[in-house]
Amino acid sequence: MKSRLFSLAIYLTATISGMLVLLYPFFLPVILRQTGFGMMRTGEMPLMMTFLLGLCLVALLFEAQGQMVNTKLVALLGILVAINSALRFIETAIPGPGGFTPIFFLIILVGYVFGGRAGFLMGALTLLVSALVTGGVGPWLPAQMFTAGWVGMSVIILRPLVTALSARRAQGSFLSNRMEIYLLAGFGLLWGFLYGGIMNLWQWPFIAGPQSQSYAAGMGFLATVRHYLAFYLVTSLVWDAVAAFGNVLLLLALGAPALRALRRFRHRFEFTYTPETSAVTVRQGDKLIP
Amino acid sequence: MKQPWAWVSWLIATIVILSITRNPLYLLLILMCVIFVGMSLRQSGAETVSPYSLWKLAAWILLLSTAFNALTSHYGQTVLFTIPGKLPLLSGPVTMEAMVYGFTNGLVLTGILASFMVLNLALTVRELISLIPQAFFPLAVVTSIAVTYLPTTLRQFRQIREAQGIRGHQMRTLRDWLPLWMPLLVGGLEHAMQLAEAMTARGFASTRPGEQRGGITPRIFLIIGLVLLAIGWIAQLGGAGVYGLAIIVSGALLIFGGLWFLGRESPRTSYHSPGWGWQDWLNMLVSLVVMAICILPMLEPINQTLFYDPYPTLSLPPFSPLLGMAMLGLLLPGVFAHFKSTHEKLDLKARRRASHGRTEV
Repeated sequence: MKSRLFSLAIYLTATISGMLVLLYPFFLPVILRQTGFGMMRTGEMPLMMTFLLGLCLVALLFEAQGQMVNTKLVALLGILVAINSALRFIETAIPGPGGFTPIFFLIILVGYVFGGRAGFLMGALTLLVSALVTGGVGPWLPAQMFTAGWVGMSVIILRPLVTALSARRAQGSFLSNRMEIYLLAGFGLLWGFLYGGIMNLWQWPFIAGPQSQSYAAGMGFLATVRHYLAFYLVTSLVWDAVAAFGNVLLLLALGAPALRALRRFRHRFEFTYTPETSAVTVRQGDKLIP
Repeated sequence: MKQPWAWVSWLIATIVILSITRNPLYLLLILMCVIFVGMSLRQSGAETVSPYSLWKLAAWILLLSTAFNALTSHYGQTVLFTIPGKLPLLSGPVTMEAMVYGFTNGLVLTGILASFMVLNLALTVRELISLIPQAFFPLAVVTSIAVTYLPTTLRQFRQIREAQGIRGHQMRTLRDWLPLWMPLLVGGLEHAMQLAEAMTARGFASTRPGEQRGGITPRIFLIIGLVLLAIGWIAQLGGAGVYGLAIIVSGALLIFGGLWFLGRESPRTSYHSPGWGWQDWLNMLVSLVVMAICILPMLEPINQTLFYDPYPTLSLPPFSPLLGMAMLGLLLPGVFAHFKSTHEKLDLKARRRASHGRTEV
């Protein structure tokens, strides 16, 4: 119980700290009004953000790996991360249209089947491994890993919903038997836009652009939201829409059989090794040495 | 120079300087240093799998960044021409200042990309994985498995495609990916099963199930550290300056402390660990000194020239020869790589000559 509380505290503090780093343009006016000071030099901000996000990610990874000293999870994640990184490798060599990327499909399914912790690790490590093998290590990596990790972790919120809807279906409601896949596809759609939106926050305050889309310290909350939405609509909406609908198409076309395979293997992975302490004996001459 | 941490110190120094300056003269100087290091590494035989070409990427970034800022940011007093009409975003004066600012941003981005490319060139994937702290050894094992299994996955994908092709499989719709995707996934999961059994048989993670490593102390360190990070960040944004930074640093130290505490419980052995040679120490020292010269507030007369703003009227960027000389310290890894490749070439020539002489005899 105590361990679970600590775990929850780390997830919450790391996530809130990470969100504070990413969302600072929206609450900065309140702070400036309270303190009456100017803000730090903008040139140092991207560096500081990368550092702080990196530390939040480190804390989340530490907690997510928690009791992962388990051969089954280590082997499973290693292989699934390799498969997903191979998809990204292929995507880097043959770029798809707009922001289309096949990696979120498997991250969502793994998080849904194996739980939030495995989902978080799947998302974060896919981005890490694919960056290592494609030479894509850069200051953007902590933010990418953080966000992709959350894609895999947050998918567990669908589980109670699916359970509730399945219960209604059992009672004779006219819900489709593909409802689970539709929900996952909807989730993929949402994260297609959210991922782009969050990744934009990392760079938006430092991009010089038209006045109606740029960030300027001292703007009110509503003005900041308005400017960010304008920036997002102009620069990212189409790109992210391709990513989001790509997720939907992949989940609708390949999701159901992949889900069945992952579930089958989850059952197969549910075996435990128990050391037979009494049987660990060595015959030496006529004696049995325990 | 083969010690990964020496390369990391060089990278940190380069990125820090690139992030704090907007002076195009210094940016060009650093970019030249980074390119020299990269070219020296290539000469000494380093190879990378990066699918990007730095030159093409740099050209695109500089072009797009300059054009985007010039066409959409209409500040500045040196007007080059005016886009007529009421086109959203575009209409208005196009100024020289906006072009220079866009070009400067492009230089920063190119410099950051180039320095990471150099790191990818200098270190192998194995060496990059060895940088993962000891506390994260399960994640390091996962990463190692993934990196090792990746070429096999790509080979399997090719084999499955060929096998399906022989059976007359054609790719028309998205669902036609299913006969390729499912064998790849199921084959991978079967492999994971075998790997898990093999690892268990060899005693990997043979601790009691459910045993929490490190106990509660490192987790308390982490929680307090994260809270301090958040407080320090808000204080820093609110203009608390040094105090905010001090809170952030103490939070970071607590997090690192927690990880160190945990890492001690997972001793790591390696077949061959790269030692620290004099070149590594010298490079690390020089990188730290260059970074300190650029960021220390007490050296402001020198590092003040790092700050430059082309708005509202374009002027020549300031340049301190002393700071420029200091930045040339970032060339050091390239100089070492260059000497190494020259030495190797001379050595090879001498050996060839010797063997040629023996044949003649």
